[in-house]
Amino acid sequence: MWLYFAKRTILAVAIIAVAVTLLFLMIMAVPGDPAVVMLGPRATPEMKALLHQQMGLDKPLVVQIVTFFGGLLHGNLGFDVFSQRPVADIVFEQLPFTLELILISILWAVVIAVPLGCYSAVRRNSLVDQVAGVVTVATIAIPSFVMAVYALLIFAVTLRWLPAIGAGNGLWDGLIHLILPAFAIGIGWVGYISRLVRASMLEVLGENHIRMASSFGISEWRIVARYALPLAILPTVTILGVGIAWLLSSAVFIEVVFARPGIGALIVNAVNTRNYPIVMGVVLVTTFLIVAATTLSDVVNALLDPRTREKL
Amino acid sequence: MNYYQGSVSRRNFLKTTSVIGGGIVAAGMPLSSAIWAAEGKVLTAASTNDITKMDPQFYTAVSEVSVMECLYSKLTRFKPGSEWGWELEAAEKLEQVDPTHVRFRLKKGIKFTGDYGELTAKDVKFSFERGIKHNSPVKDNWGSLDHVEIEDDYTGVIVLKTPFMPLFNIAFPYAVGHIVSEAAVMKATKDGGDFGMKPPAFSGPYVLAEYKPNQHLLLTRNPEWAGSKPGFDEIRVVLIGDTKTAERAYQAGDIDFTGITLDSLAKFKSNPPADTKIEGHPSLNYHWIGMNVDHPKLKDINVRKAIQWAINVPQILEAAFAGQAEVATGTIPPGLLGHREKALVPPEGDLEKAKEFLETAGVSDLNLTIDCLNESLFLTIAQTVQAQLSQIGITVEINAQDAGSFWTLGMESEGDRWKDMQLTVMWFSNLPDPFYATGSFLQSRVGIWNWERFRSERFDELSAKGVTISDPNERAKIYQEMQDLMEESGAYRFLTHGGNPVMYRTTHTQAVTRPDGYPLYVDFKAV
Repeated sequence: MWLYFAKRTILAVAIIAVAVTLLFLMIMAVPGDPAVVMLGPRATPEMKALLHQQMGLDKPLVVQIVTFFGGLLHGNLGFDVFSQRPVADIVFEQLPFTLELILISILWAVVIAVPLGCYSAVRRNSLVDQVAGVVTVATIAIPSFVMAVYALLIFAVTLRWLPAIGAGNGLWDGLIHLILPAFAIGIGWVGYISRLVRASMLEVLGENHIRMASSFGISEWRIVARYALPLAILPTVTILGVGIAWLLSSAVFIEVVFARPGIGALIVNAVNTRNYPIVMGVVLVTTFLIVAATTLSDVVNALLDPRTREKL
Repeated sequence: MNYYQGSVSRRNFLKTTSVIGGGIVAAGMPLSSAIWAAEGKVLTAASTNDITKMDPQFYTAVSEVSVMECLYSKLTRFKPGSEWGWELEAAEKLEQVDPTHVRFRLKKGIKFTGDYGELTAKDVKFSFERGIKHNSPVKDNWGSLDHVEIEDDYTGVIVLKTPFMPLFNIAFPYAVGHIVSEAAVMKATKDGGDFGMKPPAFSGPYVLAEYKPNQHLLLTRNPEWAGSKPGFDEIRVVLIGDTKTAERAYQAGDIDFTGITLDSLAKFKSNPPADTKIEGHPSLNYHWIGMNVDHPKLKDINVRKAIQWAINVPQILEAAFAGQAEVATGTIPPGLLGHREKALVPPEGDLEKAKEFLETAGVSDLNLTIDCLNESLFLTIAQTVQAQLSQIGITVEINAQDAGSFWTLGMESEGDRWKDMQLTVMWFSNLPDPFYATGSFLQSRVGIWNWERFRSERFDELSAKGVTISDPNERAKIYQEMQDLMEESGAYRFLTHGGNPVMYRTTHTQAVTRPDGYPLYVDFKAV
C-alpha cells in the first residue's frame, strides 16, 4: 500500500510540473499586455517598460519559467502587479472560500444522493424511484449558474430569507451565506451521484455474494450498507475525484453570481487583466487541488478494493 | 463523557437559534442585514469596481477615489449636485497668482491620526511631489507641476513649469489632490512610495477600519476629525464586480446604495423597489466608432465619411443602451467646458448621403472588420453597425476579443496587429476637464492610444494652447474646434457618454453624488 502511495505521489508531482509548464506557455501565447491594462490610456512607453521589468516580462520565456519554478521551491509565487502583494497571500486568502463552497456543496449532495441512489436501487421501479429518476435527470441538465440565478431571485430577492451576496462574517453568518451557492452547485451532483449509485448498486445487488448474504437471513438494509455499498460506491469515489475540476469551474460562475470571494472570481479578473503572477498562482493551486483529489480518490479506491493497487 | 462546556447545551443552542432565526425570517429581513442591524447608523454601499489602492498618487479607479474622499483631506473638492464645479475643503484660500503659480492657505486644526500632528504645507508639498518623484502611472494628472514652495506652516505656492489649467479640475479636487502625512508615509514606506491598501494615517472624517480583499471595506468615524459630522457611524463598501449582481443584492436588502446598469434603468423606473429613489446621471466616459485612417481600405476620406453618415446613432443607443443613453456630440460630455451642442454629422446620419460618398470614392463590395470587446454592450454596438453598413453595401465582420487582447490592438509596441485594424468599437474613461477628453488623439499618441492614427497639426497646436488659457469661454472654443477637427477627419463617429444611474433606499439614506453619479459618501445623510 505504501509503495502504491509513493508511486501515486511521484506521478502527481510530475503531472503538476508538466501542467503548470504547459499552462505557463499557453498564457504567454495569448495576445495582450498586462502593463497596458494596468496603466490604462495614459501609459507612456517608459512606464510600460518599467512595469515589464518589474514583472520580469522583459526576460526570455525560458528564464521566466525557470524563475517561476525557482521561486516556487522557496515558496515564492511572485507579486501581484496591481497591489504589489505576494501572490501566495492573495491566493491563500481566497482559497478557503472556494474550498468551503466546494466541500459543503459536495457534502450535502453526497448525504442526499447516496441514500437516494441506494433506495432507488433496492426499490427499483417504485414510485419514489421513478419520481427520483425524473427529478435527478432534470437537475443534472440545469447548469449551476442558472440554478444560482433562480435560487437567488426566489430566496434572496423575493422571499428575503437568505442573503444575496458575500461570504458573511463569522461561522454562523458564513454558513448562512453558503446555503444558496452550495445549493446551486450541489443540486446537479445530487442527480448525478444518485444515478451513479443506483446503477452500481443494481449491478452489485445481483452478484453471488450478495445473494448468499441474503440467503443467510441478513437484513436487507444491512446487506446494502455493509456488503453492497462499499463496492457500489467505488465509481462515485472516482467521479468525485475527477469532479473537483468541474466543481472549480462551477465555482467561477457561482462566485460571480453571489459576489463571493474565492479563486474562481480571482482568476476571471486576473485573466482579463493579464495579471500573470496571479493567474499562475491560481493555476498552480487548482492543478494541485485536482491532482490531489484524483490521487486521494485512487488511494481510497485502493483501500476499498485492493485489486486496483495492481493497476498503476 | 460530557462534550459540552459551560451553559450552552445542544438543546439550548438549537432552541435559541430556532427562535432567533424564526423571528428574523418572520420579520422578512435577510439574515445578514439582521446581523448588521444591531449596530449604529451603517451605510452599506456597493462598489462595482475593484478597490486595490488607497494611495492617492497611485489610484487606479474612481471607486477608490470615492473611498479616499472619506479618509483624507484635499485643498478643494467637487461640488455635489448636477453641475461640475469645485469648492474649498482643506484650503482656506486658493488663488492663482500668475499662470504658473497657485498660492494656497490651509485651514488650521486638521489633524492626522496616530499622533502625526496637524496637516501642514509640508505635507501638501510631500503629497503633490511624490507622484512625480515615484513615476506614478497617473502622474499626468499633475500636468506641468514642478514643485511646491513652502511659505509657512499653512501657506505654500504650487509652481508649474508651464500653465496648466486642468490642475483645478482634475488634480486638486480629485484623487491625486488628497493630502497624506509625510511623517506617516515615510515611516511606513521608507522611500515615500506607494503604500497600496495600507494608509498609515488619516485626515478625513473616517478611518479605514477593515479591508477584506474581494469582500468589503469598513470605514468608521475618525475620532480626531474636527470638521462637520458625517451622516453615518460606519460605511461598508461591498465589492461586487458585476453591476447586475449588485442590483439583485439591493433588491434582497443587502445594500442601500448601488449603481445600476442602463438596461435595468427603464425597468427600475417603471417598477422601482420599495422606498427607493432612482437617479440617472450622465457619465464622463465616451464611446465612438473609430476608423484606422492608415488602412488601405479606409485611406480615402470619402469611405470614412460614408461610414459616418451610414451609422444611425439613436438606433445603436436603443439596441445597446436600452434607449437610456443620450447621443454624444464629441468626446466632451454636456456640463463640461468645451462640449459641443451639435455634432457635424447628425445623429441619425443619412443613407443617401452615405451612398454618395461611397460613389465619390469609387468603392463597391467593400468588406471591413470591426474589433470590439467581447462584452454584450460592445458586441451589440458592433452588430448594429454591421447591420447599418450593410444598407450601403459594406460587409462587416466582427472580431470580439477579451480586454487583455483588445486593449493592445492598436499599439505599435505590441506587434503588427494595428496594421490590419479597420473599424473599432472604442470607449475611454474620462475626468472632468476637456484636456483629458482630447489628449489621447495627438499626433504623438499615434500607435499608442490614438488608434485611428488621426494626425492634425492644428489639433496639436490647439491642445497645447488649451491647457494655458484661463478664460473659460475662450478655452471652450478651443476644445470645440478640436472635436470639429476629429469629426471632419472622418475617423470618428461619436456615439454616447453612456450613463451612471444609481438607486438608494430613501428610508435609510439621502444619497449625494458628483454630477456623473459617483457617490460622495461623506455627504450622505442618514434618514
